[in-house]
Amino acid sequence: MSNNPFLWLIAIPLISTPVIYLIGRVFGPGEESSKPCPSQYITLAALLATWIPYILSVSEVLANGSIEYSSQSIAFRIDGLSLLLAGLVLALATLVALFSGAYLAGEKEQEKYYALLVALVGIIAGLGMTNDLFNLWVWFEAMSISTYFLVAFYRKQPRSLEAGIKYLVQSAIGSAMILLAIGLVLASTGSLNLDLIRQVSTKSPMLLIAGALFILGFGVKSALVPMHTWLPDAHSVAPSGISAMLSGVIIEAGLIAMLRALSALSLMASEWGIILMAFGAANMLFGNLMALSQTQVKRLLAFSSLSQMGYVFIGLGLGIYANVINGVRGGLFHILTHGMMKGLAFLAAGSLLYALHIAAGDHMPLTKSDICGAARRYPLPALALSVAVLGLGCIPPLAGFWSKWQIFLAGFETQQVWIIALIVFAGLNSLLSFGYYAPLVIAVYRREPSELVQNGHPLSFGIQAPLLLLSVAIIVIGLWPNLFTWLTKPAAAGLMTAFGG
Amino acid sequence: MNPSSINILAACVLALFGVAIYGLLVTRNLIKIMIVLQILVKAAVLGLVVAGKMNGQINLSQSIAVTVIVADTVVVIVGLALAIQARQVIGTLDADALSKFRED
Repeated sequence: MSNNPFLWLIAIPLISTPVIYLIGRVFGPGEESSKPCPSQYITLAALLATWIPYILSVSEVLANGSIEYSSQSIAFRIDGLSLLLAGLVLALATLVALFSGAYLAGEKEQEKYYALLVALVGIIAGLGMTNDLFNLWVWFEAMSISTYFLVAFYRKQPRSLEAGIKYLVQSAIGSAMILLAIGLVLASTGSLNLDLIRQVSTKSPMLLIAGALFILGFGVKSALVPMHTWLPDAHSVAPSGISAMLSGVIIEAGLIAMLRALSALSLMASEWGIILMAFGAANMLFGNLMALSQTQVKRLLAFSSLSQMGYVFIGLGLGIYANVINGVRGGLFHILTHGMMKGLAFLAAGSLLYALHIAAGDHMPLTKSDICGAARRYPLPALALSVAVLGLGCIPPLAGFWSKWQIFLAGFETQQVWIIALIVFAGLNSLLSFGYYAPLVIAVYRREPSELVQNGHPLSFGIQAPLLLLSVAIIVIGLWPNLFTWLTKPAAAGLMTAFGG
Repeated sequence: MNPSSINILAACVLALFGVAIYGLLVTRNLIKIMIVLQILVKAAVLGLVVAGKMNGQINLSQSIAVTVIVADTVVVIVGLALAIQARQVIGTLDADALSKFRED
């Protein structure tokens, strides 16, 4: 294992999961819930330790290209895409673990939260690395199961029970679809290794149905528009740290799993590209229209995730369809920037939710009128929320502008009229999104403070530090957009080769 | 195994799948929804075993089937646990009553 650092990238989080749970259980605050939970410190230590194998894997992949590893029917291939996903989940989970300390103070059973948060890191890292169709399903299912608990974390609240059950039923149907598709692929190619399938697959109706089932099944998790109905409920009632993880990493992980599965059926790459672009257009428009009518901040952000995923689908779809590598690079870059911006938006909204509602002991949702004038008392959360939503709305010197710009440029590169029309449609949607982003910024800065804000609870350093880090990162990427090219370039190249480009 | 029995098994997969989809459309009781989800996954498991048999890879597909059954049992246990919570907190197992708590 010494010369395979990536195995530790999966192993450290998964080994520390039961440790975190047991220590929290034995030494945790138990019923007197005002004391801090020791699980948080072990979680932070485990996540920081996981950065070491991550950095080693990065240096190895950048030096030698992808790493292959297989033992019997377990096959791994670590390429740029695996590193992109692992890096995103590791970075967000570290910040969320830091954020959750004060946010969860006073809740019972915190050890479960931290244990599952760390487990998610190992599971998603594994999901990005697998090179076997059935292993992909196992990682995907493990990811779903750990998030079921996290979404229904406030298990005495009817709203979170409703969201958790809806999420569970829809995900379970999706994963059964994926299993049927795996059965079809096994029946027609006789193999489950993605490379072997790619060699022997033909353009047959059976594989076309399998691909459609993959899109349906993984589409539930990555919130393609008709299958998105779990998302706004789950994202708005989950603890805010988990909302950031769900929106910043989980739906992207579903998309990357879908791309891995579809890339094995690469003879039909242009069909998959068109389908992705069609879903992208639907996602953008529907997400924007629904977000416009929301009054709750976290629900608004959840619907804006739908429309942001639409840009990713369009970038990846046009890249795969027209063989434009810049489209794939833009799509992957947008996955990164969206993870950061939406993570920041949910954490900032979560810090205000904590200050205004949770610290006072109620579980009311945070509405737009609650946050009026929040900048007076909570300058950093207000600034972070503004940076995040302006970045999501594509304002030039912020990170979100450059990733969308790359997708738009790639669209013009194809020189096909209908793709250019789609890009114009995407640009107009970006303008439409200001219809709900701008009121948030105006509310926190220009309105008189609401009564809730005046009586709000003070925020500790642990809650504010992740907001500051992510805001600075978004501004820095906005000023130097090439900062992540070393990661998106090999990832896009690997994906294009897998799709036969 | 001769081709006709493969066809019969494939028809069974489709039949189980159809039963599950019908069940999902008409069932409102949370416990019954979990049972229907089990039927749906069992259709997929049978499909995997048939697919392995067609290619002479029955060992692979049987080990996959066992893994799927384990993973799926976990899902159903979580689902039933949430259903019990719903019964305790809200006092009903009816999915329609539950969805009244959704925010629009």
